[in-house]
Amino acid sequence: MAEDNVGRIVGGKLVRPKRQLAMVFDLNKCLGCQTCTIACKTLWTREEGMEHMWWATVNTMPGRGTPRDWEKMGGGFVKGASRAGKLPTNEEFGEAWQFNYDEVFYGGKGNEAHLAPQGKPPTWGPNWDEDQGGGEYPNAYYFYLPRICNHCTHPACLEACPRRAIYKRAEDGIVLIDENRCKGYRFCMEACPYKKIYFNHVRAVSQKCIFCFPRVEKGVAPACSRQCPGRLRFVGYLDDEKGPIHKLVKQWKVAVPLHEEYGTDPNVYYVPPLAPPRLDANGNVDETKPRIPADYLRSLFGPAVDRALDTLKAEMAKTRAGGKSEILDTLIVYSWPKDIFPDFAKDPATLEWTSAETAKKA
Amino acid sequence: MLVKKVQASRDALLDPEAGEWKGAATEVIALKGTPLTLQPSPYVKAAWKGREIGKVKSVRVSSLHNGEDVFFRFAWADPNDNDRISDQNVFPDGAALLFPLNGDAPLQTMGSKTQPVNAWYWRADFGEQGKNNVAEGLGTTRLTAGSHVVCRASWRGGTWQLVIARPLAVPDQASEAVQLRPGSAVKMAIAIWEGSNGERAGVKAFSKQWRRVEIEA
Ligand code: HEM
Ligand code: SF4
Ligand code: SF4
Repeated sequence: MAEDNVGRIVGGKLVRPKRQLAMVFDLNKCLGCQTCTIACKTLWTREEGMEHMWWATVNTMPGRGTPRDWEKMGGGFVKGASRAGKLPTNEEFGEAWQFNYDEVFYGGKGNEAHLAPQGKPPTWGPNWDEDQGGGEYPNAYYFYLPRICNHCTHPACLEACPRRAIYKRAEDGIVLIDENRCKGYRFCMEACPYKKIYFNHVRAVSQKCIFCFPRVEKGVAPACSRQCPGRLRFVGYLDDEKGPIHKLVKQWKVAVPLHEEYGTDPNVYYVPPLAPPRLDANGNVDETKPRIPADYLRSLFGPAVDRALDTLKAEMAKTRAGGKSEILDTLIVYSWPKDIFPDFAKDPATLEWTSAETAKKA
Repeated sequence: MLVKKVQASRDALLDPEAGEWKGAATEVIALKGTPLTLQPSPYVKAAWKGREIGKVKSVRVSSLHNGEDVFFRFAWADPNDNDRISDQNVFPDGAALLFPLNGDAPLQTMGSKTQPVNAWYWRADFGEQGKNNVAEGLGTTRLTAGSHVVCRASWRGGTWQLVIARPLAVPDQASEAVQLRPGSAVKMAIAIWEGSNGERAGVKAFSKQWRRVEIEA
């Protein structure tokens, strides 16, 4: 049981960790390939009881996301007071579909049998509304929104647990569930406004993204970040003034949190999406309005998104005019991995892992 | 409440519908929702404001012992049996008995650091093996390594019938389970969780006062 109260309000003041790990996702680079999703799934949530768990997800926006309509499920804080939340169902997460692999690959049916989910026709999945997006031709638009647990500075999950089974590490701000203390009450699941806690029905405990802490402790970036072919998932300490995170979030303010109004002070930040220009009725470029409605982006990232987009546009204009932009250079990540997670650049294949660590890792 | 001594087998008394229970005295015990002010989770305090806590309003309790084991029989109305955690948002029904471990303990807070309590815990998804819990205040329940608590339950026609049983004495759990001796008395309280109302942990119905339970010599 964490006795240090990190992440809790004590005497009206939030107890902060000594340092905070954070991520920045550049939405302009996300391909929606789901490599991050699968990297996490294969590393951490392959056991029985974890079928519906996707600690890392990527959804098309505008969209209903995963669990379906999670943004309407409450939780978090309003003016500092807890707001009631809803528990998502398996159906809203999207059940793990069973496929007829045996029939198709070994059934001797040639082309008659087709791969399809078995049983009840599915009604939702973790990436159900992929690439639907919004807007009308020729001004349709969409972008991908990768999400993990935000390792919030004021985690609603942590405060909700009557057993203090959830703690926030003082040294790096990672939020973890102590499975030896957890009894599966799921108040944390209700309280998390990002719906990033999952109930393991075999072990009867709640589970969530662990920021790959066994890797991070050895200088290795979380799997979702290291595997990302788009190279858009920056990792580092928020207070490291030389690192990309601090520069993007604090110095240049081009990365902004998702749904800051939920009140948990999340530590994943997003470089908001730009889009190709709109076309008018005659098919000519119309620069008067953005393709992705500004109000829509504000509904996700708050008013600070305007300034972030303005800065990005100004930097792009600068480079088009032949100038240099440190901001764009940082976002491009010329040298991987040192430009994207400088403190976590080690290759996991070059490290010795103890068998316990490998077991934990596998 | 008097725990009468009878000549009957363990198997018979474990069956909530066995004839052996016919003659046992029955008490109707009123239950109240746990107070919001005591909930250790600020989230629970806020989210349950205005929501009903403690769906089960009363429980019929009888008790017998056969010199070896003690049996508490419960019956309460419940329109639906929630016997499995069939989904992320589903909670099973449950019931528990609470005893002070060292003679006395505050009931409202499930004991304290110096005055621990012992809970015998049944949940509809546990099967026959009940759980033995020790608590030293709100938020501190701890399952002990072993448990001698045995439960048998059936739900029919809108009623749960449940027997929670245990050997009177459990010498291997001297410090983590209440010891019952024929000819002596202990204090006892009851809690019931209605799964369909999302009741779990501190959200439940409970009997507000300790009741004196005398074990017939
Ligand atoms: C007769 C009275 C009571 C009994 C038999 C009882 C029994 C129990 C049991 C068995 C658990 C563990 C549940 C599990 O593992 O799923 C528990 C948890 C809990 N109870 Fe009680 N309880 C009683 C009264 C109260 C009261 C009056 C409160 C005041 C709010 C309370 C607050 C809690 C809380 C917050 C938890 C969850 C934290 C933890 O697991 O330690 N209880 N109780
Ligand atoms: S995103 Fe949810 S689960 Fe993660 S720390 Fe914040 S409140 Fe907790
Ligand atoms: S791996 Fe990278 S590019 Fe692919 S979906 Fe995830 S964040 Fe986007």
